Amino acid sequence: MSILGRILRTSVFRLSLLYALLFSLIAAAALLSVYIFAENQIEDQIDRRLKLETNLLLENYKKHTLIGLTEDIKIYNKKEGRPFYIYALIHQRKLDLRQFIPAEQIPELSSEQASGQNRNQNQAQIFASIPLNEIVDYVNSRKNDQTVRILLTLLPGGYQLLVGAELEETQDLLNQLFKASLIAISVIFALSILIGSLMARRLLNRINTVTNTADNIIDGDLSHRIPVVDDRNNELDRLSRSLNRMLDRNEELMIGTREVSNNLAHDLRNPLNRIRHRIESAKLDKISDAEFTDFADDTIEDIDGVISTFNALLSIAQIESGEPRKDWSEFSVKNLLDDLSEIYEVVANEKGITWDYSVSEGLTINGNKQLIAQLFTNLLDNAFKYSPANSIISLSAIATKTSAIEVIISDQGPGIPEGEHENVFKRFHRLDSARSTEGNGLGLSLVKAVVDLHDAKINLSDNKPGLIAKVSFKG
Amino acid sequence: MQILIIEDDVQTAKFIQKGLQESGYMVDHAADGKTGLQQAMNTEYDALVIDRMLPKLDGLSIIEQLRGQGYNVPILILSALGEVDQRVEGLKAGGDDYLVKPYSFIELLARIQSLIRRHQPQEILNHLQVRDLKIDLLKRQVTRGNTIIELQPKEYILLESLMRSAGEVVTRTMLLEKVWDYNFDPQTNVIDVHISRIRAKIDKDFDVPLLKTVRGSGYILHDPDLDKIEDNKVINASS
Repeated sequence: MSILGRILRTSVFRLSLLYALLFSLIAAAALLSVYIFAENQIEDQIDRRLKLETNLLLENYKKHTLIGLTEDIKIYNKKEGRPFYIYALIHQRKLDLRQFIPAEQIPELSSEQASGQNRNQNQAQIFASIPLNEIVDYVNSRKNDQTVRILLTLLPGGYQLLVGAELEETQDLLNQLFKASLIAISVIFALSILIGSLMARRLLNRINTVTNTADNIIDGDLSHRIPVVDDRNNELDRLSRSLNRMLDRNEELMIGTREVSNNLAHDLRNPLNRIRHRIESAKLDKISDAEFTDFADDTIEDIDGVISTFNALLSIAQIESGEPRKDWSEFSVKNLLDDLSEIYEVVANEKGITWDYSVSEGLTINGNKQLIAQLFTNLLDNAFKYSPANSIISLSAIATKTSAIEVIISDQGPGIPEGEHENVFKRFHRLDSARSTEGNGLGLSLVKAVVDLHDAKINLSDNKPGLIAKVSFKG
Repeated sequence: MQILIIEDDVQTAKFIQKGLQESGYMVDHAADGKTGLQQAMNTEYDALVIDRMLPKLDGLSIIEQLRGQGYNVPILILSALGEVDQRVEGLKAGGDDYLVKPYSFIELLARIQSLIRRHQPQEILNHLQVRDLKIDLLKRQVTRGNTIIELQPKEYILLESLMRSAGEVVTRTMLLEKVWDYNFDPQTNVIDVHISRIRAKIDKDFDVPLLKTVRGSGYILHDPDLDKIEDNKVINASS
């Protein structure tokens, strides 16, 4: 499809065409009103002048009678200027044009229907029909049928003073104004369409980049992004950025899901292989009853490991779904941590670890108590799993100045390298150093899920040596 | 003792049925919710085991209907849904205990035993005794033979739970629920540590050990001479 064809089909172009039409219409209305205003102004000005001139001549007539007036008319008629004014004295009954003063300048008036033969007689009739003291338009056939505007005033003795203005000039002006307006409207319309189309093309191009990006992603290239200019911030840039962020998030989730299934498959392969081998060898070699008990116990242990991995994954998914919010309550942090301290102090004693427990009174958390307990249990489990004898593990809870509640668990084990602080919350992520120890790599993922569920924050830092895990709940 | 299992998965139901029959129970099975409800109302059972997801009528509705009619036989809910709030939901609906699939048979048995015992009319006891280990419930004093044994408060509660279920397996999660009211499983075997401390106090200096660990499941407190037969049965059922 040609570019033009494509543009013509777009809704953007149709919209810009509509706007162009509307805009041109408004411009036309504006220009029309300017035209009418100009026309009125010019007429007004001429009318005022007609009255003024008439008054001046009447003044003179009062002073110098008819002779003075005729002289004045002669002088006035010699005046140049635009528009051209006509002054004449005619008699009511002697409508012979030759007796008019000045005869050669008397306009030859005609109505629309006037024809050549009876022009003279018509003239007399027309002059007789001119209303007095009233400004009227007539066509002057002596001068190219141009319009002449006339004010006729009655003087004593049947004389009439005619002051007229030839409108050719002003007519020309108005005509030009009209033509200019037409041109302007055409130009405006053409430009609107042109600019509209250009804008449409730009928009179309940008929309096409979005479409192309989407197509690429559908085809499997998840890393594709919509190109965005850094410092620009119009709606399209904002839209593109939002879409890009959405794509980032999607990619992250996709990669996460892929990693989870890969890791799950990998983690399951080992115990399942062991189970298979065990059963296989049990089938081949007849085993004694005593051996069978061991065989069964080992197998159950492996299967329990698999089950606990699944349960942990399901738990995390369920927590992430937000469902546990149904079981929300406000509970005392101290009561909960007292319980945990009671449970773990014994473990610490057993392992030769110093248990350091301190908690402020009166702290409460609004949340799912079982999950919060699970959260701290997982952190404590980790601390105990990696701590050597003769080290210190501490559990404490305080209220900060901003009335947030901070629960801090610290140990003196091997800690977690700075660069891994974010990664350890990923499902199945295990530090190389921890691979040999028991665990499914989901404990901290569950911690993170519970933290997120409660709109809390978890922060890991170096205890030099060891790990400090700080969980902050909003006050 | 008669138990009704309402479970649509026939394989699972058969397995549970067989296991419970070997442990001395009479077991009926219903494969859908409606049949199950009918059967529960027509026959007198000592306990019901009800799966949550059932054809025709779901587990929670059965329980609500039964409880609505003043039915007070203990009910154990089985569920593949799992996790905290569903447990709460199940208990609110009128279940007495909740077990998440997949579970070990030994855990199921332990919970059924515990439910049935709790439900039986309890004579008011002044003391509990297994062989020469005694708890004076009034004085809260533990003795073995003539030796007075000093226990921490939680150790006392743990031991009391085990003594009340003497001869039956008590699982780690059951102990966590009973003693601390938490229903999750710490990775570190914290319960093992507590148990080994109790064991150090009640068994270490005596000839016959009473508190045994059932591998992979939990613990059993019993007189090895008295419970020999039942002991074997339990261990076999778990294997």
